[in-house]
Amino acid sequence: MSARLARLAARVASGEITAEKRIRGTFDRLMTGESGPDRVNAFISFDYDTTVAQAKRVDADPSLRTGVLAGVPIAVKDNICTIDSPTTCAARIMANYRSPYDATVVRRLRAAGAVIMGKTNMDEFALGSSTEHSAFGATRNPRNLEHVPGGSSGGSAAAVAAGFAEASLGTETSGSVRQPASFCGVVGVRPTYGRVSRYGVIAFASTLDQVGPMAQNVEDAALMLQVIAGPDAYDATTVDMEVPDFCAHIGDGLSGLVVGIPREYQPEGMDPAVARSFAEAIGVMRARGATIRDVSLPHTDLALPTYHAIASTELSSNLARFDGVRFGARVDAATPSGMQALTRGRGFGAETKRRILMGTYILSHDPALLAGAARGRALVTQDFLDVFAAGIDVLFTPTTHAPAFKLGAQLEPYEMYMSDVLTVSAALAGIPAISIPIGASHGLPIGGQFMAAKWAEPLMFRAAAGLESALL
Amino acid sequence: MSAGDGLTLDWEPVIGLEIHVQLDTATKLFCGDAVVHAGAPNTVVCPVCLGLPGALPSLNERAVELGVRAAALLACELRHVSRFVRKSYFYPDLPKGYQITQLDAPLAVNGSVILSGTGDAVGIARVHLEEDAGKLLHDRVPGRTAIDLNRCGIPLLEIVTDPDMNSAADAVALARQLRQLLRYGGISDCDMELGSLRVDANVSIRAAGSNDRTSSRTEIKNLNSFSQLERAIDAEVVRQIACVAAGTPVASQTLSWDAVAHTLRVLRTKEQREEYRYFDEPDLPPLVLTPELVTRALMDLPESPVERASRFVTLGLPDSSARALAATRTLADYFEAVVAHGATPRGASAWVLTHALAWCNTHGCGISAYPLAPSMLADVIARAEQGTLTRDGARLVVHALESDASAGTDPAVTMEVTVDGIIERLGVAEHPDESAISDHIDRMLADEHALVARYRAGEANLFGYLMGRLMKEAGAGADPRSASERLRERLNNTEER
Repeated sequence: MSARLARLAARVASGEITAEKRIRGTFDRLMTGESGPDRVNAFISFDYDTTVAQAKRVDADPSLRTGVLAGVPIAVKDNICTIDSPTTCAARIMANYRSPYDATVVRRLRAAGAVIMGKTNMDEFALGSSTEHSAFGATRNPRNLEHVPGGSSGGSAAAVAAGFAEASLGTETSGSVRQPASFCGVVGVRPTYGRVSRYGVIAFASTLDQVGPMAQNVEDAALMLQVIAGPDAYDATTVDMEVPDFCAHIGDGLSGLVVGIPREYQPEGMDPAVARSFAEAIGVMRARGATIRDVSLPHTDLALPTYHAIASTELSSNLARFDGVRFGARVDAATPSGMQALTRGRGFGAETKRRILMGTYILSHDPALLAGAARGRALVTQDFLDVFAAGIDVLFTPTTHAPAFKLGAQLEPYEMYMSDVLTVSAALAGIPAISIPIGASHGLPIGGQFMAAKWAEPLMFRAAAGLESALL
Repeated sequence: MSAGDGLTLDWEPVIGLEIHVQLDTATKLFCGDAVVHAGAPNTVVCPVCLGLPGALPSLNERAVELGVRAAALLACELRHVSRFVRKSYFYPDLPKGYQITQLDAPLAVNGSVILSGTGDAVGIARVHLEEDAGKLLHDRVPGRTAIDLNRCGIPLLEIVTDPDMNSAADAVALARQLRQLLRYGGISDCDMELGSLRVDANVSIRAAGSNDRTSSRTEIKNLNSFSQLERAIDAEVVRQIACVAAGTPVASQTLSWDAVAHTLRVLRTKEQREEYRYFDEPDLPPLVLTPELVTRALMDLPESPVERASRFVTLGLPDSSARALAATRTLADYFEAVVAHGATPRGASAWVLTHALAWCNTHGCGISAYPLAPSMLADVIARAEQGTLTRDGARLVVHALESDASAGTDPAVTMEVTVDGIIERLGVAEHPDESAISDHIDRMLADEHALVARYRAGEANLFGYLMGRLMKEAGAGADPRSASERLRERLNNTEER
């Protein structure tokens, strides 16, 4: 099961199969899965000619053909800029937008020989947890089409789960990779903040956004991160440090690891099936030689309000550039300010406007809230520093309190925000986290989450791969 | 106006300036695009300065270095850590919907400039980095407004003075002095016409001699020359005094100066003041000034004009010449290069300030376009000082070199040949021929024997006249210095009496 990507790439490198042939095969599956009334709707755009042209380039260029992802079909979330296809953020205001450049992560994938299959669906501007808030319709969970795939990177998770791509890129602000990975039964990674370039990723909340890989197993996710990680002169928030080999210790097993179980991560209303799978996973880890410790992250309840103050503030500013002047859909008016107002009024969805209003309100009327949020963030971060300093290698929690909910469940905004509660703290602290499948309930996957100290992805991958193989 | 005149005795203006200069960097503040002032609209742009989705800023270190240089020239304290913020407002020429600037943690604070006229100090409150916006063009497309975003992201330095000036003349003097300093430091070309130097004035009035800081102030924008700066401030002071005289308090407003009508127009009142929703720029880490960066920035920092002028005085130049030479960095550099090539400071000063500057004035250009290389001018001056060329001869040689250069030859390449060649061609070489000048003196003494007798009888002031007669006799080839020595010798020779 593990290291699928490496094996696929090796077959292309050895000449056993051409990238073009491999990609045509995957594309056929995609075409079938995305057609008809039972379609998953994982993609906003895909194009046969564009995809095959990439595969042909890989076959023609020896350096691409021997790349670590040679001929590997990858799906990319539609808020990541690609030069050869539209980039829409699932927003009406961006419906026909084409970026004149590739995001750094896309550039790195292409340089490793990967082929971009298409751009995946998401909640508009990454605001949501269900991939229902898209101008291009909802994505459905391939495990059960009546259910949501999670979000906002629901299309990327669904594409991997449905076999439309071997791996994908999502983006995270507070859990938008881990939660859909959990709902769709795939692996999803949030890297350390600063590990992966955000250049070319349409910003939601700049101090929280990170690109994260999704794949069918931990080792594939680690390889994907290996390719996209590392400092970038175009992103001043990437950290200039060498990227370790994420797979070097991935097979070292669970024995000797100290796993902390934070007592604050068992929220009221946790689904019994989730609680059961979680307890079983802990038992498996203990049996494989891990030391399990009860720990406390006392400021966990500050995380959600802190997150919303920071994220909506940054969002309101980051979306100011969508004004109809230089790109995107424009609604004309008699004056420039009238044009800007109409364009934004008609081009943004309801959830986007709600959060822009929250952020604008904070900045213009309650800036003290931001100072409070900064303190909240510092306290949440300190909790993690304390437990890792006390000898905990990784923390283990459920990724979400319940499996995927039904499409059209009409969650109240507040309820929707609550689905971030187990994933948001890692985002605030900038630490790495990973969600892996740990069970299922009525055919719907259940995810477990490991969190590690900043830059400790190797340890995180080792723990995740250890549990993954123990659960097989 | 008479009522106003009476009142001006009771009120004094309080003026502070906000000055924006475009930094003289090769590339923009947050991307690799070139900084250009010409070019077709929207040709010098990229995803970053266009604010396209996904683009992020990365800071141009050279802009930071130039900011550090400016801070040093303005005697500011550098902030070891400064921060960028977003200043938000919607306007079609502002691509991201916010400007990246600095607010609570600027690059440098607490500097000062001594006004060279009055000796008064003007405080520099702060110096900070920010990005320029684009331009709206109302005259390109009939009935519509076009946008040129080439200027977006050009690095600006904002310099804010304390309200330490009490007259429009002082404000202009300060602005001029800042321009001189910034040009000196290679920080900005400070061209007001091109918009690389922009001045806003904050004006209020208070009872003369008081230290009142409570009166509300107005801000005047759109001042495109020093004379407009002076006029606008004077007009605003008169207006504010008239307001107070009429019993209406001065409203806190932003005004725009109409340079054609010479009037002030209200742009917005305090109630309409824009709300900028500032917050820390999350895409840029705090700007930390490393010792290496500061060292690099200050490595070739020139002396200030004042320091340089006083050093020129120690070379033996009169005050006025020293100040004139130090007025611009290129002129001072040229002068020093001439001296470095062997000319005496006094000789170099005289030649540079008269001939070289005269040529530059005639041709409407700066010293950097002067056709004589410093080494060549030094060569001519040295010959004049050694006596192998008379002063008039040297002048002729310099003129010939200038016109040769203007005609398209490059005399610097073949300096020796050209200077020698021109001396040869003009026939102005001075051969210290004792007998030739003696012959001239003999003839002149004979012709003017009456005056010679009076001189010898004690009318010493006749020497000048006799010297003039001698030079007329001897022609341009004669070296006046040695001729005068020889003449004085002969006149004082008691045996000849």
